[in-house]
Amino acid sequence: MNEKFFKTLLGVAVLGLIIGTGGLINFLVYGKSTLALGSYIPWGLWVALYTFFLGLTAGAFLVTILTYVFRIKIFSGIGPLSAFTVVVTIIAEMLIITLDIGHPLRIYRMFTAPNFKSMIFWMGLFTLAMLIIYILETYYLLREEIIHWSQDPGIKNRKVYQSMALGRTAYTEEDRQQDHRRVRLLSLISIPVGLFFYGSNGAVFAVLLNRPIWNSTLTPLLFIISALVSGGALIVLLTFMFKRDDAVIHLLARTIRFLLVVMLILEFLHFFISYQWDVLYIVTALDLILYGHYWWNFWFVHLVLGSLVPLYLMIRYHDNARVLAWACFLIVFTFIAFRLSFVIPDQAVYKLEGLQMSYFHERLRTTYVPNLTEWLVAVWVISLGLLAFLLGTRWLPVIQAGRGEEEHV
Amino acid sequence: MARDLPQEDPLIRMQRDLKRALKKKPTDIKWGMVIDIAKCIGCHACTIGCVAENKLPPGVVYRVVLEEETGHYPFVGRRFVPRPCLHCQNPPCTKACPVTATWKTEQGAVIVDYNKCIGCRYCLVACPYAARTSDFGEWYTAETAELPGKLYGQKAAANGYEAHPAAEYGQKWPDRNGGSPVGNARKCHFCLHRLKVGMLPACTTSCIGRATIFGDRTDPHSLVYEMIGSPRVYVLKEELGTRPSVYYLK
Ligand code: SF4
Ligand code: SF4
Repeated sequence: MNEKFFKTLLGVAVLGLIIGTGGLINFLVYGKSTLALGSYIPWGLWVALYTFFLGLTAGAFLVTILTYVFRIKIFSGIGPLSAFTVVVTIIAEMLIITLDIGHPLRIYRMFTAPNFKSMIFWMGLFTLAMLIIYILETYYLLREEIIHWSQDPGIKNRKVYQSMALGRTAYTEEDRQQDHRRVRLLSLISIPVGLFFYGSNGAVFAVLLNRPIWNSTLTPLLFIISALVSGGALIVLLTFMFKRDDAVIHLLARTIRFLLVVMLILEFLHFFISYQWDVLYIVTALDLILYGHYWWNFWFVHLVLGSLVPLYLMIRYHDNARVLAWACFLIVFTFIAFRLSFVIPDQAVYKLEGLQMSYFHERLRTTYVPNLTEWLVAVWVISLGLLAFLLGTRWLPVIQAGRGEEEHV
Repeated sequence: MARDLPQEDPLIRMQRDLKRALKKKPTDIKWGMVIDIAKCIGCHACTIGCVAENKLPPGVVYRVVLEEETGHYPFVGRRFVPRPCLHCQNPPCTKACPVTATWKTEQGAVIVDYNKCIGCRYCLVACPYAARTSDFGEWYTAETAELPGKLYGQKAAANGYEAHPAAEYGQKWPDRNGGSPVGNARKCHFCLHRLKVGMLPACTTSCIGRATIFGDRTDPHSLVYEMIGSPRVYVLKEELGTRPSVYYLK
C-alpha cells in the first residue's frame, strides 16, 4: 500500500476516533438512557454492527478452508494478513457487544454460570475459541519475522519484539517446521469451530419463537454463507491494498461470486417461503423490509449496490483485480445494510394485538432509528478497529510473513 | 346460581385460598392466574397498581391492558386483555438467558435475579408475549426544574417517590443511579414479596372488575382451580407450546 493512501486511512481512523469519542463519553456518563432502543426493539444498530463484524471475520476462515480443505496453495501467502484481520474484527465485535449490554462488568458470568441451553452462551464460547485460535495462529505465522525483527538493529522498539519472541534469538528450520505444523493444526481446528461459530450466531436468532424472519432453519446457513461473502470480500480488498497478488484476487473473487449467488438464492427462498404462510405478522415483517420506510435500504443499498452491481462487476471484469477490489469494497461497505434489514424489522412488528395502545412510552414503540450517540459510538468502534488494523500492519510483520508458506500446504 | 352470583367478594375467597396455600409445603404450590375478559372493563388499574407497587420507572411495565378489536363492521366490538408475564411452564425466556439469571421457581413463577442479569436483553426478544421490559435507567423527574434553594425541584420530586427503594423479591433495591435493576431485564414476578407475607398480587387487589383471579392452581378448593376448569378457558398463543400459568376466560 502506498504511503499516501496509508496515511489517508490513518487520518480517517483518527478523525473517526475523535468524532466518536463525543458519543462514547455521553454514553459512558449517562448510560443506557442515551440510546434510542426500547423494550420492543431491544437490539438495534450495535447488534447489527456486531453481526457485521462477525461477517468480516469469516475472510480468514474462507482462506483456511480453501487452503486446507481444497488444498489451493496460492492463498497461503495471505494467511498472516487474514488471520490478523480475524483477530482485529473479533475484538471489535466483542467490544461493541460489551458496550451494548446493560452490565458489561458481569459478562464473565457467561462462563462462571453458563446456561447450556442458551444460544448466546454457545456464541460467546465459540467467539472466544475463535479469538484464541486466531491469536495463536497469527503468532505462529509471524514468529519467524518477529524473531528476525527482534535481532535487527535497524528496527525501532526492538525490546517489544524481543519480549514477543519469548527470549528466542534464532529461528531454525526445525522451528519453522514446528510452527507450520501448529498453524496447520490450528487451521484444521478452526474449520469445525468456525462453522459452529457462524452457525451459533445464526442460531441465536433462529431458535426464537414468534419471530417470522429469524425463526427459520435457513438462518444459520444464511449466516455462514453471508459471513463468507463479506469476509472474503474484505480479504480481497486487503490483498489488493496491502499485498497485491492478482492470481489470489481472481480466485477469491470467483469463490465470492459463487457464494454471493448462493446467498441471494437462500434469501429469495427465505422470503418466498415466508410469504407463502400468508400470516399477518409474518407478512407485515416482510413487507417492512421490502416496502417499509427503509425500502431503499433493502432494494437499493443491499440488493443493487451490495449484490447485483458487485456480481455484474465480478462477472464482466473477472480478470481485472482493480475492478474486483471495487466490487468487494461495495459488498463490505453495504453489508451493514443487509444486517440492519435482518435485525430490526423482525422486532418492529407488535407481537400482540393492541400492544401499541396499552401503555405509552417512547421505549415501548416498534419504531427505531439509531440516534446520534449510537452512530457516534459505532463510528468510534469502527475507527478503533481500523486504527488497530493499520498500526498492526506496520508494527507487526503481517505483510512480510507468509512467504514460503506454499510448499507446506 | 351461587356460582354466577357470588355471595362474597372473590377477593375474600382468594385471600382464604392464599392462606391455605401458604400452609402447604412450598414445593407443592403452583401459582396460577385466571383473567376473565368478560369482566375486564379496561380501566388499567392493575397496570397502575403494579407500577406503584414495584416503583417501576418510565418505560418499564409488567402488566399492560391490551385493547383488541373484534368482529367486522358494522358488528364490531372491543375487549380488553390484561397481559402480565404469563409465567409459562415451558418458558422460552429462561432458555435464552446465557447466565442463568432468570428461571422458573418450584412454585411456577418465572423470576429474574437482578444481581446476576448482564442485561443482554435476549430474553426480551425471546418472549413471544413481549412481557419483559428493559430498565434504561430513566427518571420521571428527569426533566423537572431544579434551582437549589429557590425552586422545589428535581431532587425533592425524586425523593418523594422515585428514590424510594422497590421491594421486589423481598429485597430493598437501592437508588436508581446505575446499579441493578437499572440495565436489567424486568418482568412481573407474581408479587412474590407480597405473597410471602400473605398478600395477593397488587394487580389482583387493584382489579375493580374482579377480573383477575389468583391462587394455587393445584388446590382443588381454590377459586383459581375452579376457574381453570371453566369451558371458557383459553391461553394466549397456545400454538407456541409455552403452556402459560396465566389463563383467560372468553
Ligand atoms: S410470558 Fe414471556 S417472560 Fe413470561 S414466562 Fe412466558 S416467555 Fe417468559
Ligand atoms: S437480559 Fe438478563 S435475564 Fe435476560 S437473558 Fe440477558 S442476562 Fe438473562
